[in-house]
Amino acid sequence: MAVAALPTPTVRRTLRMTLASVFGPLGQVFVFVVGSAIVLSIGTLLIAFLLRGTRADVDLVQATLVILPQVIIDGLVRGFLFATIALGYTMVYGVLEFINFAHGEIFMVGAFAGAALGSILVSSGVLNALPVPLYVVVAVLVGMVVSGLLAVSIERVAYRPLRGAPRLVPLISAIGVSLLLQDGVRLIANLSGLGFNARFQTPNFGPPLRLAEIPVSEDRAIPLILDVRALTFIVAAILMLVALNYLVNATKLGTAIRAVAQDRPTASLMGINVNQIIALTFLIGGALGGAAGVLFGIRVGTVNPYVGFLPGLKAFTAAVLGGIGNIPGAMVGGIVLGFLEAFVASYLSLMTAGAFSGASYADIVAFSILILILIFRPSGLLGEAVSQKV
Amino acid sequence: MNKTANHAQRVSVQFNRGLPAYVALTLYVLITSALLLSNTRTSLLTDIIFVLFLMGMLAIYRARVAGGYKLVLAAVVLLGVLPYFGTRNAFYVELAIQAAIFVTLALGLNVVVGFAGLLDLGYVAFFAVGAYLWGILSTPQIAQIAPGASPVEPWMFYLFLAIGLLVGTIFGILLGFPVLRLRGDYLAIVTLGLGEVIRVLAVNLDRPVNITNGSQGIKDVARPPLPDVLRALMPGLGDAQIYQIFIYLMALAVLGLTVLVVYRLKNSRVGRAWEAIREDDVAAVAMGVPIVRMKLLAFAVGASFAGAMGVLFAAKQQFINPPTFDLLRSIGILAMVILGGMGSIPGAIFGGTLVTLLDLQILPRIAMELSALKRQGIGIPDWFDPAQYQRALFGLLLILMMIFRPAGILPDERRREELSEGEGVEIVETATSPQPEAASS
Amino acid sequence: MALLEAENITKVFGGLMAVNSVSLTVEKGSIVSVIGPNGAGKTTFFNVLTGIYKPDGGTIRFDGETITGLRPDQITQRGIARTFQNIRLFGNMTALENVMVGMHSRLRAGVWGAIFQTPQVRQEETRARQRARELLAFVGLERRMDELAKNLPYGDQRRLEIARALATQPKLILLDEPTAGMNPQETAEATELIRRLRDELGITVVLIEHDMRVVMTISERITVLDYGSKIAEGKPEEIRTNPRVIEAYLGRGAALEAQMR
Repeated sequence: MAVAALPTPTVRRTLRMTLASVFGPLGQVFVFVVGSAIVLSIGTLLIAFLLRGTRADVDLVQATLVILPQVIIDGLVRGFLFATIALGYTMVYGVLEFINFAHGEIFMVGAFAGAALGSILVSSGVLNALPVPLYVVVAVLVGMVVSGLLAVSIERVAYRPLRGAPRLVPLISAIGVSLLLQDGVRLIANLSGLGFNARFQTPNFGPPLRLAEIPVSEDRAIPLILDVRALTFIVAAILMLVALNYLVNATKLGTAIRAVAQDRPTASLMGINVNQIIALTFLIGGALGGAAGVLFGIRVGTVNPYVGFLPGLKAFTAAVLGGIGNIPGAMVGGIVLGFLEAFVASYLSLMTAGAFSGASYADIVAFSILILILIFRPSGLLGEAVSQKV
Repeated sequence: MNKTANHAQRVSVQFNRGLPAYVALTLYVLITSALLLSNTRTSLLTDIIFVLFLMGMLAIYRARVAGGYKLVLAAVVLLGVLPYFGTRNAFYVELAIQAAIFVTLALGLNVVVGFAGLLDLGYVAFFAVGAYLWGILSTPQIAQIAPGASPVEPWMFYLFLAIGLLVGTIFGILLGFPVLRLRGDYLAIVTLGLGEVIRVLAVNLDRPVNITNGSQGIKDVARPPLPDVLRALMPGLGDAQIYQIFIYLMALAVLGLTVLVVYRLKNSRVGRAWEAIREDDVAAVAMGVPIVRMKLLAFAVGASFAGAMGVLFAAKQQFINPPTFDLLRSIGILAMVILGGMGSIPGAIFGGTLVTLLDLQILPRIAMELSALKRQGIGIPDWFDPAQYQRALFGLLLILMMIFRPAGILPDERRREELSEGEGVEIVETATSPQPEAASS
Repeated sequence: MALLEAENITKVFGGLMAVNSVSLTVEKGSIVSVIGPNGAGKTTFFNVLTGIYKPDGGTIRFDGETITGLRPDQITQRGIARTFQNIRLFGNMTALENVMVGMHSRLRAGVWGAIFQTPQVRQEETRARQRARELLAFVGLERRMDELAKNLPYGDQRRLEIARALATQPKLILLDEPTAGMNPQETAEATELIRRLRDELGITVVLIEHDMRVVMTISERITVLDYGSKIAEGKPEEIRTNPRVIEAYLGRGAALEAQMR
C-alpha cells in the first residue's frame, strides 16, 4: 500500500503489526510442524524399541531411524497438501457455516487444468524449453484461475439459491456438485484426449537432491534424498500461506471477510457487500485448492477425475482438527494430519511384519482422528473461530 | 391460466374420483398388463411398456378409490402379472428384484434422513455388514477364520434374515453412539468416513486373518433351498426360473413388511418424537424427548433394515465384493429418498423404483440404442456411454431437486411446506381441509 | 412447602457472568415472577433450571430431589415444563401432534409396541389423543387441533405452547414472556389462562414477564434480576417501591425522584 512509504512512527507500527499479523499465525504453524515431527518421531522410536526382537530379519530401531528423515519429508508434503485444501473448507465454513462438499473436486479440477496445460505445452513443443520455476508459476496460476472461477460459479448456481434453507439442503446440493464434477471432468478428459488417467507432463525437474548420507554400517550408507518436486510443493505451499495470511489479516478485504464470518447481518449493515465477499471467499478458497491440485499433479505425475475425493475428505478432517472456521487452525490441522498419515503409512507394515498394509490403514487413521476429535474436542486444536449462538 | 391446461386439469379431476376413477384405473392396469404380456422380448418397446406398467402402481396409490380395491389391483400387478411375465422374461424380474431391494434400503434410510433428519452418507456400510455376514458364514470362507468350522446350512438363511436385522442394529448403535451428538453437517461427513472405513476394511481384512477375502470378494454364497410348493405351483419351469420368482417373492415380502413397519413407526409416539427432533431439537428435549436416545433408535432402525437386506442381497447375487458397497451406492440410495421426498413413505418407494430403473434399465438401454446407431454408421463417439455416467446422473438429480423441488416428487404432506418456505404457501392435504377441486366445482 | 429451591445458581459465558449466584425459592401452588431489564439473565436462568445449560455453580432442588446437571428431558420428566420466549413449536406438525409430543415421557409405547400395535399401545394412543384434545380445549384451541402449528395466529401459538407444556404433566411450569407481542385483549386472556393453570390444575407457575400490569396483578412474589444478579425479592407492593428496582429499570435519577415523592 502507498501509505507504507510515509515515514511517520504510526506507519512503522502498522508495518510491524502487519508483519506480526502475517507471521504470527505462521509461527504457530511452524511450532506445530516441529512439535508434531518431534513427538511422532520419538513415539515411533519408542514403539520400535519396545518391539525390537519381534522380527528376526530386521533391526527395527535401525530400520526406523534410517527411513525417518524420508518419512518426515513425506509428512510435510502430505501436510501442506491437506493444509492448502483445508483452507478452502475452513474459509467457506467461516463465512457461511456450510461444508463445501465439492471442494475436493475443485482441487481435482485444478490438477486437470495443470494436466491440460502440460499437454498443450507439449504439443506446441515448448514444455522442455521452459525453465522449471517459470513453469511452476505459470501452471499454479492456471490452476488457481480455473479452480477459483469454478468455485465462484458453483456458489452462484448451486449454493446461493439455497442460502437460508435448512442446513442439509445446500449440503446435499454440494454432494451433487461433487458427483457432477467427477463425471463432467471424466467426460471432458475423454473428449479432449487427455484420457481418464491423464498424464501430468512437466519439464524435467532434474535428479533428486542428495542432502546427506546416513552411514548404516562400515561399507553401506543410505542417502537422504529430497525430491525436487516435493521441495517445490513445500516452498510453493509456504509462499501461498504467507500470501493468504497477508490478505486475510492485513488488508481491508481480509477485514471484510472476517467481519462477514463474525456476523453477516451486521457486516451488511456496515456497508459490506456480503454476496461479493462470499464470492471472494469461494474464489480464494477455490484458487488455493486449484494451486494444490497443480502441485499435487506435478508431484504424482498422473491424475484422474476421482483424485479429489480422498484428499478432500482428509482436508476436511484437517480443517476440523485445527478448528473449523479458523485459518491458522486449518494449516496446523493439515500438517498434523499429514505427519500422522505419513508415519502410519510408513511404519505400520514395518512394525506388524506386513500384517497390516500401512497405506490402507492410513485412511482409517485419518477418519478415526476425525471422529475422535469431533467427540472429544469438537472445537479442534486451536478452537473454532466462529462462536456458536444458542 | 391457459385453457388447455385448465381443461386437462378438469379431465384429470374427473378421472381421479368416483366411478370414472375405477374404470380408468382398471383399464390402465389391464391394458399395460396385456401389452406387457404380449411383448416378452427384451427391447426398447418392452422397456417403455414395463415403465408404464409400473407407473400403474403410482396411479393405484394416487387414485381416490376404495382401499380394498387398491389392494386387489396391487396384488394382481405385483403377485400375478409381474411374476408370470417373469417366467417369460428373466431380465425384467431381475429389475423388479433389484428395485424391491433398493426400495427397502431407501425406506430404511428414509427413517434416518427423512423422519429423524440425520443425514447418513455411510448407510451402505450396514448393508455390507449384512451381506458379509451371510457371505462369510454360508461359504467355506468361515474355515479361514475358524479353522475346521463348516458353513451353515442353506435353510438357515431365514434365521439369518433375523440375525442380519440384529447385527445391523448392533452396528447401527456402535457406529451411531459416538457420532449422534454431532451437528447435522458434521454427522454427514463422519458417517461418510465410517462408510469408507467399512469398505476399506472389507478390502484389507484378508490379512493377517482372512476374514473378507479382500478385493476378490466371496464366491458361491449359499441360497436358501427352493420350496417344493413353488415347484408344484409352476410346473414345466426350470429351477433357475422358479428360483428367480422365489427371490422376487421374498424381496417383495420383505419390502411389504418394511412398508408396514415404517408406516406404523411413523404414526406412533416414536415417529412423533423423531419428527419433533427434526423440527426443533431444543424444543423437543424440553418436552421430555431424550434426543440422543431417539436419534440412536432411528439410526439403529435404519441400519437393521439394511442388515437384513444385505443377507438377502448376498444370497441373491451369490457373490459379494467391496466395490458393491462404495460411497456411490450410499449416495444412490440417498438420491432415491430425496427424489421421492424426505420423510415420505410413498416417496421413497417411488424414488427407489425410479432410480433403480434409470440406473439399470433406462441408461443401459440408451447406451445400447446409441451403439446400435453407431453400427449403422452414425457418428457417435466411443467414449460416450450413458450407463457409465451414473455419478453425473445422481449429482444432477441432487442439485436440481434441492434447487427446484427440495420436498421431493411425492412429498410427505408436511415436509413439503417446510422445505419450500418463502416460496408461498402450498396447498396442504390434511384430512379435514376441503379439496381445492371440490371448492371450485 | 418449597417446590423449587435454586441456590446460588451461576452461569458464565466466556468472561460474562450471565447469572451470578442467584437463589430462588418457589412455594408449591404459588405464582412467581422473575423480572428485570433486557439482558438481565432471566432466560439464561430458565435455561439453567430446565437443564438446557449446565450451571457453573449452585444447586437446584425440585420436589425434594436434586436435579442439578440432569438432562433437559430428565428434568421435564420430573415435572418442570416450560415455554419459550421466541415460540418454538414444531411448525409442521398439527396442534394435536404438538401436544402429543409433549406427552412423550408419560407414554410407554416403544419401537416394538408401535410395530406390533399391541392392544396396550392402541389404547394408550387413543387415551393420549383424547387427553390432547382436552388440553387443547383447556387453552381454547379445540377447533384448531388439525391445523399446522405454524399456520396458527400468534396468540394461538402461545396458547399451544402452554398446552404442549401441560401435556408433560408438570408440577411447575416456567413461562418465558407469555404475553410478549400481545394486544391488551389477548394479554388479559393470557393472564386469565395463567391464573387458571394454578387455580384449576394446581400447577405452580414461574413467569418471566415485561408487562408490569400482568406482573403486579397475578404474582404473589417477584424476583428482580439485573446484570445477572438478584437485586430484590418480595411481594408486588414491596417491589413497586424498591429504589434499587426503580434504579435498574429507569436509571438513578428516577430512583431519587421516586424517593423524594
